[in-house]
Amino acid sequence: MSTPIIEVNDLTVQFNMASEKVNDLKEYAIKLVKHELMFQEFLPLQNISFQVQPGEAWGLVGVNGAGKSTLLKTVSGILKPYKGSVVVRGTTAPLIELGAGFDPDLTARENIYLNGMVLGHSRAFMEEHFDEIVAFADMNQFLDSPLKNFSSGMKARLGFAVATVVNPDILIVDEVLEVGDMRFRRKCNERMQQMLSTGTTLLYVSHNIESVKTLCDKAIWLDKGHMRMTGDAREVCDAYKEEQTRMIHQRREERRKKMKEEGKKYDYLIVGAGLFGAVFANEMTKSGKRCLVIDKRSHVGGNIYTEDVDGIQVHRYGAHIFHTSDEVIWKYVTDLVDFNHYINSPVAIYKDEIYNLPFNMNTFSRLWNLKKPQEVKDKIAKQVAELHITEPKNLEEQALSLVGRDVYEKLVKGYTEKQWGRDCKDLPAFIIRRLPLRFTYDNNYFNDRYQGIPIGGYTNLVEILLDDVDVMTDTDFFEYRKSHADSYDRVVYTGMIDEYFDFCYGHLEYRSVRFETERVEESNYQGNAVVNYTDREVPYTRVIEHKHFEPEAEQEHPKDFSIISREYSTEWHPGMEPYYPVNDEKNNALYEKYRELAEKEKNVIFGGRLGSYRYYDMDKVIAAALQAAEAERMPWLNNGGEKE
Amino acid sequence: MELLKYRINTFFQYKDLMIELVKRDLKLKYRRSFLGYAWSILQPLLLMIVLTVVFSNILGKEIENYPVYLLSGRLMYDFLKTSTTHAMKSVTKNSALLQKVYVPKYIFTVAGITGCMIEMVFSFGALFLVMLFTGARFYLTLLLTPLVVIQIYLFCCGLGLFLAQFNVFFRDVEHIYGAVMTAWLYLTPILYDISRLPDTLAFLIKAFNPLYYYVAQFRDLVYYGNIPGPRVFWGGWIMAILMLIFGTWTFQRSKDRFVLYI
Repeated sequence: MSTPIIEVNDLTVQFNMASEKVNDLKEYAIKLVKHELMFQEFLPLQNISFQVQPGEAWGLVGVNGAGKSTLLKTVSGILKPYKGSVVVRGTTAPLIELGAGFDPDLTARENIYLNGMVLGHSRAFMEEHFDEIVAFADMNQFLDSPLKNFSSGMKARLGFAVATVVNPDILIVDEVLEVGDMRFRRKCNERMQQMLSTGTTLLYVSHNIESVKTLCDKAIWLDKGHMRMTGDAREVCDAYKEEQTRMIHQRREERRKKMKEEGKKYDYLIVGAGLFGAVFANEMTKSGKRCLVIDKRSHVGGNIYTEDVDGIQVHRYGAHIFHTSDEVIWKYVTDLVDFNHYINSPVAIYKDEIYNLPFNMNTFSRLWNLKKPQEVKDKIAKQVAELHITEPKNLEEQALSLVGRDVYEKLVKGYTEKQWGRDCKDLPAFIIRRLPLRFTYDNNYFNDRYQGIPIGGYTNLVEILLDDVDVMTDTDFFEYRKSHADSYDRVVYTGMIDEYFDFCYGHLEYRSVRFETERVEESNYQGNAVVNYTDREVPYTRVIEHKHFEPEAEQEHPKDFSIISREYSTEWHPGMEPYYPVNDEKNNALYEKYRELAEKEKNVIFGGRLGSYRYYDMDKVIAAALQAAEAERMPWLNNGGEKE
Repeated sequence: MELLKYRINTFFQYKDLMIELVKRDLKLKYRRSFLGYAWSILQPLLLMIVLTVVFSNILGKEIENYPVYLLSGRLMYDFLKTSTTHAMKSVTKNSALLQKVYVPKYIFTVAGITGCMIEMVFSFGALFLVMLFTGARFYLTLLLTPLVVIQIYLFCCGLGLFLAQFNVFFRDVEHIYGAVMTAWLYLTPILYDISRLPDTLAFLIKAFNPLYYYVAQFRDLVYYGNIPGPRVFWGGWIMAILMLIFGTWTFQRSKDRFVLYI
């Protein structure tokens, strides 16, 4: 074993936290005389020992005040040990606060030099690397205006650029990267990765457990200044997370007990711990309301639930890819968790042929060996014209009149038939209003501005939303209602609307999906997250390979197995898991009747996919939940839309 | 020995930072003022004119060429005052930085004092103008002034380091120091001639007021055209070095605790 680059032996750090802050001589004298000069001896770190080998990446986890930042400061020499020793063998670049030491009155140019020298570089060195810094910070324009005119994001950029200009032996990072826009964060992460790959040692603090997991090999779990656990990053993070969850549960339990003792009611009983319920509960809790979320499943998250199976996030209820064009919603979710930059570009397999989706130039060139968009347009127009369809009577004719025979037969027909469980000729035309054709070589399925998957899975996101909310899983609303009818004021119901009314007008219809999830002993089963099977002979519609939703996790911790889910579209029968509302005329009319009943139901808000019998994208669900919460907070603003 | 070598190494590593900090102070002081650096000459000049008008008839009757007499003393005092006041706040003012990056803490103190010293050298221009204007003689001894500048610089570094660390723990120092500086001004023969004081007071000042040593030496070189006597010359050096040792010692002793108090 080589010599460790950082060696911490039995380190204890002491703060003399004056019990009251003594700021002037008079007070000091008085307290000295009265013998009141008590120093509360506070030990933010006690008996810490560890050794870091060159090139390792270490993460520090723990709650606020656990001593993470203190440890970083001690290693970077800002704080001195009280007992024990810290030996650092190499240069350090502390990214503790970006741009510490910027002078707002100096220009950007002057600040670059000053900051560089604060970090211990020589003038000659800074001159040599000046252009590189400016280029990384993207800051050619305003070099000579005073820094006080800069936005905080720009300052952070400049700070990071200066701090990382040199490849230090040890990089010390303290949650600095949580500022700035996505693009900048990504850039910073890339830079850090690149440094790591060239052998830089990393000490990393972040509240984001997932980023510790992906970046670090080893981790230390600090708890009130003590080392609680140390070792493999994944193990430590998991243990820490488990403890966190346990604490949350315990807090919830206590809260619930207290409420019972005090005989208080919940303001809201939220039925369903899916995205709608979680967002709504989070919002109302923030405005000081008491919420209880119940779910009949044994976990939170509803259909976006993801389960960690040996390091792979498995989308238990079907693939979910977050995409939105709404900046507010994107900010809302990215403030909760980090998203990766997964772009959905599915692949379709028809017999032994393989095509890109959505229908774009890659698909068409494969189909017809054509290269120019105009040729493709002509080809499709010709195929459509040959069919002489004026008024499509069924789905088949509708689709044919939109995309022509080749695309329809290879990519639409079988898939749609499997999805609906019947022949295209027997399906109404309205199901497909349009089939978007793209005359560019662009495989990105969605047209939205923002797209990605939360790092660490959706369950994490929902759990963050529900951090301060009481949750009871394995609890059926209709049972709960019987015994606890007086324990809440209002209900938010995200279950099936017809079930709420005891199916009094009959059942709304759904399509359901059956998943066959399987572990396969190969590291890469199909090379893509989503593969559609478009011929009717293959019984399943799609195969999902979950690990491809998180390429960054796979890159960091390659696994020699994979988890796939085959999706079978099935007929829905009462009692089965409902997935897709069948929004045909008959069912919509039925829903309308239930909606009228719902409106009469005072003190109940219906929401979510099942509560409003609509197919909802996740961003729309969040928007609807936020809106519902807003309407609850300020009912006077909302005379037209919801209830009351 | 190892430690000393290490200290010297770090000092050299951070010398560019020091230079940059000095430059920043000078740059920012006059940024956006119309006359810019000319102020470091104009300001003492204006002050000298005011003081001459007020005091020349009261205190300066027997003093030949009172403006030069006054200014030569005043420059020393001004340097002492501005540099130590600056130094006193140097650690507290940079607290944000010191909590986040490792930098030798004395850098800020010493840079502040160095900046003031450079400014003092600029304001020698004012003295030069006044001497020219009043027809004073230029002695060859003028060439020895750097020796005095070095002495008072070292003295101020020592005092500044002491004040800087003291101010971290007791912010009152900032408020007291203004009064102390005013007293110091009147206890030094700057506006008046020391021979006018009662003997005991004059003796005490000559023995214990360090500033007296520097004012006396500087005046010898500039105003009288003498080589300073060994008493003030060596006394000035001894005072400077003792103060530097004291300042460094107090600073070293408490610097590791700064972070907990700023």
